[in-house]
Amino acid sequence: MASELFNDYDTEGFFDEVFEATGAPRQHYSALLKRLSYFSAEELARRERRRDADFRNQGITFTVYGEDEGIERTFPMDLMPRVITAEEWSHIEAGLEQRVTVLNRFLDDLYVGERAAIHDGVIPWWVVTSSDGFSREAFGIPMPLGARCLVAGIDLVRDGNGVYRVLEDNLRSPSGISYVVENRVAMTRLLPQMFADTPVRPVDHYGRSLLGALNRVAPASASDNPTVVVLTPGVFNSAYFEHVFLAAHMGVELVEGRDLVVDDQVVYMRTTKGLKRVDVIYRRIDDAFLDPVVFRPDSSLGVPGLMSAARSGSVTIVNAVGNGVADDKAVYAYVPALTRYYLDEEPILPNVETYLLWDPDQLASVLNRLDQLVIKPVAEAGGYGITIGPAASDEDLAKCRADIIADPRNWIAQELISLSRHPTLIDDHAEGRHVDLRPFVLTSDVVEVIPGGLTRVAMKKGSLVVNSSQGGGSKDTWVLAPTREDLEAEVATGSSEARPGSAEVSA
Amino acid sequence: MLARDAENLFWAGRYLERAEDTARLLDVTYHGLLEANAAEQRAAWSSALEAVGLRDAFEKSGRSLTAANVSEFLVRDGENPGSIVSAVEAARENVRTVRESLSTECWEAINSFCLSMRSRNLEIEIEQQPHELYGFIRRQCQTVAGVASETLARDDGWRFLRLGWNLERAEWTCRLLRVRQVHLEAPGFHEWVGTLRSASALEAYRRTSRGSMDPADVIEFLLLSDSFPRSVFFAIRSAETSLRELGTGDEPSQPLRLVGRLRAELEFADPRELLTGDFEGELTRIERSIRGVCSAVGVQYFINIHDVDLHMLQVFPGAGVE
Repeated sequence: MASELFNDYDTEGFFDEVFEATGAPRQHYSALLKRLSYFSAEELARRERRRDADFRNQGITFTVYGEDEGIERTFPMDLMPRVITAEEWSHIEAGLEQRVTVLNRFLDDLYVGERAAIHDGVIPWWVVTSSDGFSREAFGIPMPLGARCLVAGIDLVRDGNGVYRVLEDNLRSPSGISYVVENRVAMTRLLPQMFADTPVRPVDHYGRSLLGALNRVAPASASDNPTVVVLTPGVFNSAYFEHVFLAAHMGVELVEGRDLVVDDQVVYMRTTKGLKRVDVIYRRIDDAFLDPVVFRPDSSLGVPGLMSAARSGSVTIVNAVGNGVADDKAVYAYVPALTRYYLDEEPILPNVETYLLWDPDQLASVLNRLDQLVIKPVAEAGGYGITIGPAASDEDLAKCRADIIADPRNWIAQELISLSRHPTLIDDHAEGRHVDLRPFVLTSDVVEVIPGGLTRVAMKKGSLVVNSSQGGGSKDTWVLAPTREDLEAEVATGSSEARPGSAEVSA
Repeated sequence: MLARDAENLFWAGRYLERAEDTARLLDVTYHGLLEANAAEQRAAWSSALEAVGLRDAFEKSGRSLTAANVSEFLVRDGENPGSIVSAVEAARENVRTVRESLSTECWEAINSFCLSMRSRNLEIEIEQQPHELYGFIRRQCQTVAGVASETLARDDGWRFLRLGWNLERAEWTCRLLRVRQVHLEAPGFHEWVGTLRSASALEAYRRTSRGSMDPADVIEFLLLSDSFPRSVFFAIRSAETSLRELGTGDEPSQPLRLVGRLRAELEFADPRELLTGDFEGELTRIERSIRGVCSAVGVQYFINIHDVDLHMLQVFPGAGVE
């Protein structure tokens, strides 16, 4: 290595995204490392400062709750991108298509179908109904094309052998796509030279792809050019920047609950020229706040009467209500079985080994080795409430044990995955930091996976928690095209959508 | 467009104009007083507070009438909703909720303006380099105006932004004139130069007046000029254009009716008649008319959906629906 960045770099026995166990760089990183070696540590530090100033001036921020009056923070992007080969990606992509297809089949079966998976004993009814995300109000609400989860974010990790595994499904309002696109924009500005010898697949068509998918799930009453809106809880929401991003990239209105009104089971928005009918709502508000008539009566974020409008089929709500049941961490354990049941296929992307604690045998064995496992609450997102056995104090473990015994359905235990690491710029050199990957999957009449996704980095040394709300950072994620020609063809059509071989979703 | 977005853009325009006007007024007042005695100073700061319509609020805050206190109050007092800092924060907050309908450049200009106001040491700057500070604020406001003008589509969003901008400007220039016209009896060259400077009008005025500093000429220029963009007439005419373009049917909207009447009144006003009559009363009336236009805009465009509309929908399907 020419650069001093990697002088003392040590993989410390972890699976490293860039270096083999022998210390030699992996082949698909060699061009990048060479380019990087032309930069001094000071020059990279200067560009990092530029990056921070750019993000702040552009207002690419998220809000941290709990700190005084909700500070706007930037989501730090490491200047060293993560690279995924075309071959690896086609495996991931096939796995994601399969998984999201199964999850959509399950939701459709559950809420508007015959509940065949339950009748056939694939998953117990009580597990479904005891899930926080399960929603009786969703029964019978139609979803065109069966795309109840139109936007999914699936969290992947790589274990000690480099195997990609699904860690979590996010089927409600997964956020992060705005950072995927903005990170790419920032990288092309900060380190344009790095793209020179590498055929990186584009990601900036997301808005177009999303709008296309939303248009295709419009109700039959809509015109050929349906009115789509993005519904946000408002400017104080931590992901407000993303809501703005989505509306802007689709060229549609960003509305709040108070901008919408339901009359005779039809949704309108209040415009300067009167009421305008709305056909599709991409909502970024949780189920519980969507409609005070049906859910929390104290919520002022939602729209009274929205659920009844959705039930009448005059408007499509995306993602559908009740999806939380399928990303419940206990239901997660059943996804491999559901895959075999609905598709008669083996899961392409394996789960992390998961233990269900209402089973007395599994509970006993978990309680015996609590200090070696990861314990998660089933319904939380954002990395909250997790206990990582080996890192926990005796006190934490005792509390965790008591919590589990008090409510076994509320917790799962998982084997500790030694997450892969990626060199990350720390001061003037590179150090290994744990990473995960959240690709985004769009479902309408086809399934489209946006190349790459959000690579999140646990910036704290040794930490396994990558969530932005807990001090995580991110990396631009490069999926390589098989060849330059493939890339040029993709850029020319402006989209990776509807390639031959994309999985069909049955309605 | 979404009624809430329209309202936010309207207010963003008003706040930005307010920040710029206040900065210019402070600059002129401060530098016009360096050789003045204490009594003159107090009178000038008092009239500056009146020109921004905040004299009562200042007195309530219990501060004494000094340059430092007034500057502090008008620049960095977060408790004072009329301070520059409050106006810039409010402009950013309004724009932040309509970001998706603006250009990236326009949002960035406002955002980085606001962020740099937060990071500057305003307390020190007010004391040690006020001219640089006010110049910075003025330039930032003008940058936003320029970026908006060069990057925004001429759609309804643009019209509401400009409408807020121009109505605020018209009201501000009018109030400035009303506060300064007490000098009419005892014309002071420097006061009138200061007044013109406060409206960025000195050079433009000189070119039309060829050196005269007759108060009647100054007043006519700031109130009625049809070529200077900060005159009351010019701003009202621009507001009328925005409202005309925002209209839909054949019927003029209520705010358009009001602004059209006001424009006609100014367009055909006789300056001599104005000055010999109850000029202060006349200016007060114009200010009230401008506020009337603002309220009518609110009723017409921002809160235009009443329960009665929903009822109408059931009786006459299609009514009120675009």
